[in-house]
Amino acid sequence: MEVLGILGIIISGILIGIGFYGLSSTSNIIRVLLSSEIILNSSILFVFSFSSIVGMIYKPIIFSLFAIGMALTEVIVAFAAIILYYRQKGKLEVE
Amino acid sequence: MFPPTSELVQLILFTFFGIMAIAFAIYIVRAKNVFYGAVSLAFLGVSIAALIALEAPLTYGIYSVFHILLYVGATVTFLAVSLVMFKDLEVKIPKGSIGILAGGAVSVLFLITVYISLSQVTVTSLKPINFTILADNILETYWFPLIILIIALLTTLIEAISLARRD
Repeated sequence: MEVLGILGIIISGILIGIGFYGLSSTSNIIRVLLSSEIILNSSILFVFSFSSIVGMIYKPIIFSLFAIGMALTEVIVAFAAIILYYRQKGKLEVE
Repeated sequence: MFPPTSELVQLILFTFFGIMAIAFAIYIVRAKNVFYGAVSLAFLGVSIAALIALEAPLTYGIYSVFHILLYVGATVTFLAVSLVMFKDLEVKIPKGSIGILAGGAVSVLFLITVYISLSQVTVTSLKPINFTILADNILETYWFPLIILIIALLTTLIEAISLARRD
Protein backbone atom coordinates (compact mmCIF):
# COMPACT_ATOMS: atom_id res chain seq x y z
CA MET A 1 0.00 0.00 0.00
CA GLU A 2 1.50 3.26 -1.16
CA VAL A 3 -0.57 5.23 1.40
CA LEU A 4 1.14 3.44 4.30
CA GLY A 5 4.54 4.25 2.84
CA ILE A 6 3.71 7.98 2.63
CA LEU A 7 2.19 7.90 6.14
CA GLY A 8 5.33 6.20 7.42
CA ILE A 9 7.52 8.90 5.85
CA ILE A 10 5.40 11.63 7.50
CA ILE A 11 5.64 9.87 10.91
CA SER A 12 9.40 9.47 10.52
CA GLY A 13 9.69 13.18 9.66
CA ILE A 14 7.79 14.12 12.83
CA LEU A 15 9.96 11.75 14.91
CA ILE A 16 13.17 13.27 13.49
CA GLY A 17 11.89 16.71 14.53
CA ILE A 18 11.12 15.47 18.06
CA GLY A 19 14.58 13.89 18.25
CA PHE A 20 16.28 17.12 17.19
CA TYR A 21 14.18 19.04 19.72
CA GLY A 22 15.42 16.67 22.41
CA LEU A 23 19.03 17.08 21.27
CA SER A 24 18.93 20.87 21.16
CA SER A 25 16.93 21.60 24.31
CA THR A 26 18.78 19.72 27.04
CA SER A 27 22.19 19.53 28.69
CA ASN A 28 21.58 16.09 30.25
CA ILE A 29 23.81 13.46 28.60
CA ILE A 30 21.33 10.58 28.99
CA ARG A 31 18.53 12.61 27.42
CA VAL A 32 20.85 13.42 24.50
CA LEU A 33 21.49 9.68 24.08
CA LEU A 34 17.74 8.91 24.20
CA SER A 35 17.05 11.65 21.63
CA SER A 36 19.66 10.18 19.29
CA GLU A 37 17.88 6.82 19.68
CA ILE A 38 14.61 8.48 18.57
CA ILE A 39 16.41 9.74 15.45
CA LEU A 40 17.80 6.24 14.81
CA ASN A 41 14.31 4.70 15.08
CA SER A 42 12.83 7.31 12.76
CA SER A 43 15.58 6.80 10.18
CA ILE A 44 14.96 3.03 10.18
CA LEU A 45 11.21 3.66 9.74
CA PHE A 46 12.00 6.05 6.88
CA VAL A 47 14.22 3.46 5.13
CA PHE A 48 11.40 0.90 5.21
CA SER A 49 8.68 3.38 4.22
CA PHE A 50 10.66 4.65 1.25
CA SER A 51 11.63 1.10 0.23
CA SER A 52 8.00 -0.03 0.34
CA ILE A 53 7.16 2.68 -2.21
CA VAL A 54 10.18 2.01 -4.45
CA GLY A 55 9.84 -1.79 -4.15
CA MET A 56 13.17 -2.72 -2.55
CA ILE A 57 13.04 -5.94 -0.52
CA TYR A 58 16.47 -7.08 0.72
CA LYS A 59 18.62 -3.94 0.95
CA PRO A 60 16.52 -2.16 3.63
CA ILE A 61 16.41 -5.31 5.77
CA ILE A 62 20.19 -5.84 5.56
CA PHE A 63 20.94 -2.12 6.09
CA SER A 64 18.67 -1.94 9.14
CA LEU A 65 20.07 -5.14 10.66
CA PHE A 66 23.56 -3.64 10.46
CA ALA A 67 22.19 -0.34 11.78
CA ILE A 68 20.65 -1.84 14.94
CA GLY A 69 23.80 -3.94 15.48
CA MET A 70 25.90 -0.77 15.37
CA ALA A 71 23.32 1.02 17.54
CA LEU A 72 23.81 -1.64 20.22
CA THR A 73 27.57 -1.05 20.07
CA GLU A 74 27.13 2.73 20.09
CA VAL A 75 24.83 2.67 23.12
CA ILE A 76 27.26 0.56 25.16
CA VAL A 77 30.27 2.75 24.25
CA ALA A 78 28.28 5.94 24.95
CA PHE A 79 27.14 4.55 28.29
CA ALA A 80 30.71 3.71 29.25
CA ALA A 81 31.68 7.31 28.50
CA ILE A 82 28.70 8.57 30.56
CA ILE A 83 29.70 6.40 33.53
CA LEU A 84 33.28 7.74 33.38
CA TYR A 85 31.99 11.32 33.14
CA TYR A 86 29.67 10.75 36.12
CA ARG A 87 32.53 9.32 38.20
CA GLN A 88 34.75 12.35 37.46
CA LYS A 89 32.19 15.19 37.64
CA GLY A 90 29.50 13.68 39.89
CA LYS A 91 26.68 14.93 37.66
CA LEU A 92 25.03 14.19 34.32
CA GLU A 93 24.76 17.75 33.05
CA VAL A 94 27.10 18.91 30.28
CA GLU A 95 28.74 22.28 30.92
CA MET B 1 -15.23 3.82 -3.17
CA PHE B 2 -13.99 2.23 0.09
CA PRO B 3 -10.79 0.19 0.44
CA PRO B 4 -11.17 -3.54 1.25
CA THR B 5 -11.64 -4.42 4.93
CA SER B 6 -8.12 -5.82 5.44
CA GLU B 7 -6.54 -2.68 4.01
CA LEU B 8 -8.83 -0.48 6.12
CA VAL B 9 -7.87 -2.39 9.29
CA GLN B 10 -4.20 -2.11 8.27
CA LEU B 11 -4.58 1.66 7.83
CA ILE B 12 -6.36 2.06 11.21
CA LEU B 13 -3.67 0.00 12.98
CA PHE B 14 -0.91 1.93 11.21
CA THR B 15 -2.41 5.27 12.27
CA PHE B 16 -2.81 4.00 15.85
CA PHE B 17 0.81 2.84 16.12
CA GLY B 18 1.99 6.04 14.42
CA ILE B 19 0.22 8.16 17.05
CA MET B 20 1.62 5.90 19.78
CA ALA B 21 5.18 6.28 18.40
CA ILE B 22 4.88 10.09 18.34
CA ALA B 23 3.37 10.15 21.85
CA PHE B 24 6.17 7.96 23.28
CA ALA B 25 8.82 10.08 21.52
CA ILE B 26 7.34 13.27 23.04
CA TYR B 27 7.30 11.59 26.46
CA ILE B 28 11.00 10.64 26.10
CA VAL B 29 12.07 14.26 25.51
CA ARG B 30 9.67 15.73 28.10
CA ALA B 31 9.82 13.22 31.00
CA LYS B 32 11.13 14.63 34.30
CA ASN B 33 12.91 11.35 35.10
CA VAL B 34 15.14 9.92 32.35
CA PHE B 35 14.58 6.36 33.64
CA TYR B 36 10.93 6.56 32.54
CA GLY B 37 12.18 8.05 29.27
CA ALA B 38 14.36 4.97 28.74
CA VAL B 39 11.40 2.67 29.49
CA SER B 40 9.32 4.70 27.04
CA LEU B 41 12.01 4.08 24.40
CA ALA B 42 11.11 0.37 24.58
CA PHE B 43 7.48 1.18 23.73
CA LEU B 44 8.69 3.45 20.92
CA GLY B 45 10.74 0.53 19.57
CA VAL B 46 7.71 -1.79 19.69
CA SER B 47 5.60 0.85 17.89
CA ILE B 48 8.26 1.26 15.17
CA ALA B 49 8.45 -2.55 14.76
CA ALA B 50 4.66 -2.68 14.39
CA LEU B 51 4.71 0.13 11.80
CA ILE B 52 7.40 -1.66 9.76
CA ALA B 53 5.46 -4.95 9.91
CA LEU B 54 2.26 -3.22 8.79
CA GLU B 55 4.04 -1.61 5.79
CA ALA B 56 4.41 -5.04 4.17
CA PRO B 57 3.76 -8.01 6.50
CA LEU B 58 5.05 -10.70 4.13
CA THR B 59 8.21 -8.78 3.22
CA TYR B 60 9.34 -6.75 6.24
CA GLY B 61 7.75 -8.85 9.01
CA ILE B 62 11.03 -10.68 9.66
CA TYR B 63 12.84 -7.42 10.37
CA SER B 64 10.18 -6.41 12.93
CA VAL B 65 10.95 -9.56 14.90
CA PHE B 66 14.67 -8.68 14.88
CA HIS B 67 13.88 -5.10 15.87
CA ILE B 68 11.96 -6.28 18.96
CA LEU B 69 14.52 -8.96 19.84
CA LEU B 70 17.71 -6.98 19.25
CA TYR B 71 16.72 -3.38 19.79
CA VAL B 72 13.99 -3.54 22.42
CA GLY B 73 15.20 -6.77 24.03
CA ALA B 74 18.89 -5.86 24.25
CA THR B 75 19.64 -2.19 23.71
CA VAL B 76 16.75 -0.58 25.53
CA THR B 77 16.78 -3.11 28.36
CA PHE B 78 20.50 -2.46 28.82
CA LEU B 79 19.84 1.29 28.91
CA ALA B 80 17.01 1.06 31.43
CA VAL B 81 18.86 -1.35 33.75
CA SER B 82 22.10 0.67 33.59
CA LEU B 83 20.31 3.86 34.62
CA VAL B 84 19.71 2.35 38.06
CA MET B 85 23.42 3.02 38.81
CA PHE B 86 22.89 6.78 38.82
CA LYS B 87 21.51 8.78 41.73
CA ASP B 88 19.92 11.94 40.42
CA LEU B 89 17.94 11.16 37.29
CA GLU B 90 15.60 14.13 37.58
CA VAL B 91 15.98 16.52 34.65
CA LYS B 92 14.90 20.14 34.39
CA ILE B 93 12.16 20.49 31.78
CA PRO B 94 13.47 22.98 29.24
CA LYS B 95 11.53 26.20 28.72
CA GLY B 96 11.96 28.13 25.51
CA SER B 97 10.94 27.82 21.93
CA ILE B 98 14.39 27.54 20.27
CA GLY B 99 14.38 23.74 20.56
CA ILE B 100 10.81 23.50 19.23
CA LEU B 101 11.73 25.80 16.33
CA ALA B 102 14.84 23.73 15.55
CA GLY B 103 12.88 20.47 15.63
CA GLY B 104 10.06 21.90 13.53
CA ALA B 105 12.52 23.30 10.97
CA VAL B 106 14.29 19.92 10.67
CA SER B 107 10.94 18.13 10.21
CA VAL B 108 9.73 20.56 7.54
CA LEU B 109 13.04 20.52 5.63
CA PHE B 110 13.14 16.71 5.77
CA LEU B 111 9.57 16.33 4.49
CA ILE B 112 10.12 18.91 1.70
CA THR B 113 13.26 17.04 0.57
CA VAL B 114 11.40 13.71 0.58
CA TYR B 115 8.43 15.24 -1.29
CA ILE B 116 10.77 16.49 -4.04
CA SER B 117 12.47 13.07 -4.19
CA LEU B 118 9.19 11.14 -4.33
CA SER B 119 8.13 12.92 -7.52
CA GLN B 120 11.07 11.25 -9.31
CA VAL B 121 10.53 7.64 -8.22
CA THR B 122 8.36 4.98 -9.79
CA VAL B 123 6.00 3.10 -7.48
CA THR B 124 6.62 -0.67 -7.50
CA SER B 125 4.69 -3.38 -5.66
CA LEU B 126 6.53 -5.56 -3.14
CA LYS B 127 6.94 -9.34 -3.43
CA PRO B 128 7.10 -11.72 -0.43
CA ILE B 129 10.58 -12.25 0.99
CA ASN B 130 12.77 -15.20 -0.01
CA PHE B 131 15.05 -16.15 2.90
CA THR B 132 17.55 -17.98 0.69
CA ILE B 133 18.21 -14.79 -1.30
CA LEU B 134 18.42 -12.78 1.94
CA ALA B 135 21.00 -15.16 3.43
CA ASP B 136 22.99 -15.20 0.16
CA ASN B 137 23.00 -11.39 0.12
CA ILE B 138 24.28 -11.15 3.71
CA LEU B 139 26.94 -13.88 3.38
CA GLU B 140 28.17 -13.20 -0.17
CA THR B 141 27.60 -9.52 -0.96
CA TYR B 142 27.77 -7.93 2.50
CA TRP B 143 30.33 -10.22 4.18
CA PHE B 144 32.79 -7.41 4.93
CA PRO B 145 30.33 -5.17 6.89
CA LEU B 146 29.25 -8.31 8.75
CA ILE B 147 32.85 -8.97 9.86
CA ILE B 148 33.24 -5.30 10.91
CA LEU B 149 30.01 -5.56 12.95
CA ILE B 150 31.18 -8.76 14.66
CA ILE B 151 34.54 -7.14 15.54
CA ALA B 152 32.74 -4.02 16.84
CA LEU B 153 30.46 -6.12 19.06
CA LEU B 154 33.42 -8.14 20.38
CA THR B 155 35.43 -5.01 21.24
CA THR B 156 32.34 -3.59 22.96
CA LEU B 157 32.04 -6.77 25.01
CA ILE B 158 35.70 -6.47 26.10
CA GLU B 159 35.17 -2.79 26.95
CA ALA B 160 32.07 -3.57 29.02
CA ILE B 161 33.94 -6.27 30.98
CA SER B 162 36.91 -3.97 31.65
CA LEU B 163 34.55 -1.20 32.78
CA ALA B 164 32.67 -3.55 35.12
CA ARG B 165 35.91 -4.80 36.70
CA ARG B 166 37.32 -1.29 37.35
CA ASP B 167 37.26 -0.19 41.01
